[in-house]
Amino acid sequence: MNLSEAKDFLVSSASLKEVRTFSRETFEKINLNQELKDELVLAIAEAAQNIVKHGYKGIEETSDRMEIKISLNEDQLTIGFYDKGKPVVPGNVQHRKLDDIKPGGLGTFFIKQIMDEAVFKKDQQGWINHLVLTKKI
Amino acid sequence: MTYKVTEEGNIATVFLDGEIDMDVTEKAKEVILPLVESGKEVHLNLKDVAYMDSSGISVLIESHQMAMEKNTKVIVKEVSKSVLKVIMMAKLEQILNLE
Repeated sequence: MNLSEAKDFLVSSASLKEVRTFSRETFEKINLNQELKDELVLAIAEAAQNIVKHGYKGIEETSDRMEIKISLNEDQLTIGFYDKGKPVVPGNVQHRKLDDIKPGGLGTFFIKQIMDEAVFKKDQQGWINHLVLTKKI
Repeated sequence: MTYKVTEEGNIATVFLDGEIDMDVTEKAKEVILPLVESGKEVHLNLKDVAYMDSSGISVLIESHQMAMEKNTKVIVKEVSKSVLKVIMMAKLEQILNLE
């Protein structure tokens, strides 16, 4: 099955619910078990949250938008995130150690647990950051 | 997210409802942390929480750690299957008090 759905959202924590709704509606069109759908929705929401939280750190309010594109090509799921926040230095994107119990630092860990790969591409085309998550499903 | 709080003796039970993400964590903390701060034993009932992300997990950790400082405890009760999965992904099932 091939599919490609994209939607843009205001960069705001208030948009995260809308991001999940878009993701759930897209995954409804794909024959996946519910557990995997829930995991994928979590990974997408965490990546979107990272844009809001880190890409726009210190910015109270913005009119910027971020775009999320979910594509399926046979069994290869690709999820792209485009934003105009602060440029991400991929080497600085790290999750905390799990045995260092403290609030925060888990979003990137969840993404890495759920997805096969998370890569920042340098083909932004008008955007600042382009994160690509992939998973064979 | 909506919530309801009941108190009986030294136990405060917070019933959370809905989805817990970054957008509502401040609200969740405003409800939970003062109860913990006051030294009450706090029961967090998550039966009606269908979704929780890393921000929600942070609230659970912060509540748990504050409770330890205050010599009380936070007990997380009736965790839904989807939320339990996230707690387990974070390897916190042995750290948090789950019932």
